[in-house]
Amino acid sequence: MNHSINKLALSITASILAAVGAQAYEVPLTYFGTNMPPIDFHGFASQGFLYSGDYNYLANDTRNGSFQFSEVGVNLSMNPFPNTRIAVQGFDFDVGNVGQYDPFLDYALVEYTINDEVGIRAGRIRRPGGIYNSIQDIDVARTYVLLPQGIYDARWRDWSAGLDGGELFGSIPLGKAGSLSYETYAGIVNMSDNGGVARYIESTGATLENIDSSPAFGSQLWYNTPLEGLRIGASFAYMANLTYDVTVPVMPGLMVPMESVANAPLQQYSAEYVWKNWTFQAEYYTYDLTGYNYSPAFGNHPQPMENNPQSWYAAVSHRFNKYFEVGTYYTQCRINSTITKQFPSDDYQNDAALSFRFDPTDWWTFKIEGHYIEGTGLLRDSVNNPVRSDDGWFMLALKTTFSF
Amino acid sequence: MKSKLITLGLLGAVLWLGVNHALALDNAVVIANSSVAADSLSASALKDIYTGKTKYWDGGQTIVIVMLPDKTDAALQQACGMDSSSFKTFWQRLAFSGRGQEPKKADDAAALVSLVAATKGAIAIAPADVTLTGVKKIEIK
Repeated sequence: MNHSINKLALSITASILAAVGAQAYEVPLTYFGTNMPPIDFHGFASQGFLYSGDYNYLANDTRNGSFQFSEVGVNLSMNPFPNTRIAVQGFDFDVGNVGQYDPFLDYALVEYTINDEVGIRAGRIRRPGGIYNSIQDIDVARTYVLLPQGIYDARWRDWSAGLDGGELFGSIPLGKAGSLSYETYAGIVNMSDNGGVARYIESTGATLENIDSSPAFGSQLWYNTPLEGLRIGASFAYMANLTYDVTVPVMPGLMVPMESVANAPLQQYSAEYVWKNWTFQAEYYTYDLTGYNYSPAFGNHPQPMENNPQSWYAAVSHRFNKYFEVGTYYTQCRINSTITKQFPSDDYQNDAALSFRFDPTDWWTFKIEGHYIEGTGLLRDSVNNPVRSDDGWFMLALKTTFSF
Repeated sequence: MKSKLITLGLLGAVLWLGVNHALALDNAVVIANSSVAADSLSASALKDIYTGKTKYWDGGQTIVIVMLPDKTDAALQQACGMDSSSFKTFWQRLAFSGRGQEPKKADDAAALVSLVAATKGAIAIAPADVTLTGVKKIEIK
């Protein structure tokens, strides 16, 4: 029932966004009767559809087609003082059983720019990471419906997208050698009870009791080469004391508590070349999550765990005109985890995607995308996919977005 | 080792050949609100503005980019290496990630000039043949 109401609300919101059309809104000063600076108001609403031939992937029932793939965001920003900007964005999403339309504060920040070389942003921010991390769930800002999921898992935004803390940012000119852009951040990553990590833990059969926020720090560097359109990036991050408490079944009718504590250094390397109407991209991503599981069932012998996935992709897209864009990518992900694999195909997932984007108006985008996938390593849902194999399988993804 | 050096040298040559040393906008001029103190900008400073690296004028006034989609694509491409579709996506990425403020849009050249004239800190690439009223022309060096 709640889902129906939420879907109705989402549809109404999308309709309103469509109706208001192409123009962003700036609230005039006179509305307030003060000297308050103008406020910029933007937003978007996306609705997707996922269908897959062999497995339920990302949403709960994609084998029969699923609309559980939606995002809505609305933001405000203003410049109250010289060199100062305030920005706030509310967000709401649903990807399968993750998100579930619980609205939350996506970012809320104050930014002070000292000069082009140094600025500071504080509050709740979106973390930088490669080409897409900070806009991983903003459909209108990319060619593809689904980004390479080994790097930008649509369900794991609470793990990767945001942070309460701050960052330094800027761009350092290097003369004829180009420029170097950087963002260096530190803060707390808030894990959600409705998040992808929580759902993944639960999919193993455990009952999640608590999942803690995690301190994190990192940096994204971009070298903007003298060759127009070519940039090369490196991102490093460290997430500390990732902690969750669960109860796990050890035999029928017997559950025991277990606490897991882990640390994870992350690395990502990126290259992007925009030439005329072509965009070429390639990225490599890995993290090495290591830690221990503690439980009375293990006595004084905590069980080590390690998860060291490695993913890469290469992509190319071409915009024919203001209406049409086509893109394709190939990606591979290797899971490399100590978690026992039920099937050999659980250790990898390769994906070849072909995507068409159509922008009939300035404020409306429609995409259709086909995937040929081998492996099942990113399904992360053994309950809805009890039998898995190395055979290739297909997926269709549709998405439409209204933005203003 | 020698082949690696040759490869590096060729790569360096390609990079240097790609450097855009001069800027002459095709059938377009850069205009700004009269509150903007600058009378001229270097090509790289203009690019920094249009790619979000420079967000404020000297003194801290916010730079507000005003766009005339589709009408000044060639000049936009020259100024920042993006056409209007790429430019729109680029700024949506900044805005929806909390890193910038989307440019404003005008429906036609006259509306562009009016909007720039009415918006403090505004800058725009305008068609060369538009009548400039209440705005200043910025020389690109």
